[in-house]
Amino acid sequence: MTRGFRRARHDVRARLGDDERRVLRDVFTEVYDLLEDPAASEPAEQDPLAALVGIGRTVRPPEDPALARLLPDAHRDDPEASAEFRRYTESELRARKRSGLRVALDTLARPSPLRLDDTEAQAWLVALTDVRLVLAERMGLRTDDDHALLEQVAARLAEAEDDSDDLVVTAADESARGATAAADAGRRLAMTLALYDFLAWLQETLVEAMAAALPDERGR
Amino acid sequence: MVTSPVELDDPRSDAEVGVVRPWVTLVWNDPVNLMSYVTYVFQSYFGYSKAKAEKLMMDVHLKGRAVVANGDREEMERHVEALQGFGLWATMQKDD
Repeated sequence: MTRGFRRARHDVRARLGDDERRVLRDVFTEVYDLLEDPAASEPAEQDPLAALVGIGRTVRPPEDPALARLLPDAHRDDPEASAEFRRYTESELRARKRSGLRVALDTLARPSPLRLDDTEAQAWLVALTDVRLVLAERMGLRTDDDHALLEQVAARLAEAEDDSDDLVVTAADESARGATAAADAGRRLAMTLALYDFLAWLQETLVEAMAAALPDERGR
Repeated sequence: MVTSPVELDDPRSDAEVGVVRPWVTLVWNDPVNLMSYVTYVFQSYFGYSKAKAEKLMMDVHLKGRAVVANGDREEMERHVEALQGFGLWATMQKDD
């Protein structure tokens, strides 16, 4: 029986099934890999002193929009200032996010119930955020209205296959194939939405468990 | 991850004593971050009260953005870097 995070006396804990742990491991790993620093794999070209003090050569936002959402420009209307900021912070930001995802991945192997101390829980909070940001961008979820819209799209695509069942296959091969592809896309989208919603729910329970220990709350 | 709470003065009192706070840190609305999480970050990172953190979060949600801190450039750079670390969409600019 799955149970979201709640605060216990010395830790926060959750009950997660094997399937849920597997899904979490997959998405944490995907974002961990996504955040790999391209500069780190070219040590020969890296200025050793610059590397030592954490200055990278990256000055442009990543081309992958999902990665760009994790590593956004710091100045909205000033590309030059954004480039300068990125040069000094992006490498470190990637490393920090990856080390948090690593903590999430490592702790995921613990027996049930999954117990986290505050530092680990903090890493989980950010890891869940980053994973959801990536999934949202991949699905095209970019405004507050998009979630409902995507649910409709997934449902409509799935219907395409039901309609095509009536067609005579020999006469309408093309159309049937198109409908099957659409239905597959619809199912994938529906699954990604379900995963996204699960992660949001899990994060919500973790935020609540963490917020319960903030000074404002403790004083009550 | 969480740094020490930052003391932020009321901007009006700065004007009175002539302290210049020329830069601001902004957080922008996005459809992904949970309202509870944004509030939690404002409380835990800035050390803001729950009431202040919730007000700023609602400003982000309803107005599309909110100024969450002001001060000198280096200070705002630290805030933007930290907030990006939390996954919030944070930027900085000169306060006009």
